Amino acid sequence: MWNYEKRLQYPVNITQTNPKIAQVIISQFGGPDGELSASMRYLAQRYTMPYREVTGILTDIGTEE
Amino acid sequence: MSDINLENKPNRKELLCLINQASFAVDDVKLYLDTHPCDTAALDYFYEHSKIRNQALREYAKYYGPLTVDTAVASCTDRWNWINEPWPWQEGWC
Repeated sequence: MWNYEKRLQYPVNITQTNPKIAQVIISQFGGPDGELSASMRYLAQRYTMPYREVTGILTDIGTEE
Repeated sequence: MSDINLENKPNRKELLCLINQASFAVDDVKLYLDTHPCDTAALDYFYEHSKIRNQALREYAKYYGPLTVDTAVASCTDRWNWINEPWPWQEGWC
């Protein structure tokens, strides 16, 4: 269960549109090695993690990503 | 809301910046504490910034609407204010 916070973890202020950079960012976000799949991987791996510390780390990093 | 003292109203961007900073500190030390649960200096750091964060979130909710569901009561009037204030991707900065 996760709670939404109505703010960004780091402030973003876009002053001009740039499709080239947007293309890179969207693949860093949703691409094959992006944040989305990484977070899902962390959150799935924690179920079989035998060490409590690492289960915590996987949960908290997966949450942030 | 009648009990709000407008003269003490905090600056919105400054308050949000404080929330972002305190939250970053909390998130970061949380990861460290996962693997170093007995580090008392890190625990003190966590308590300190967690307290700042919670106070700032409540203060923000009181004047500018809630950022979390847990602080929604701090901004409660006779209507639900969650959807009124801009979302993070709106109005440039949040």
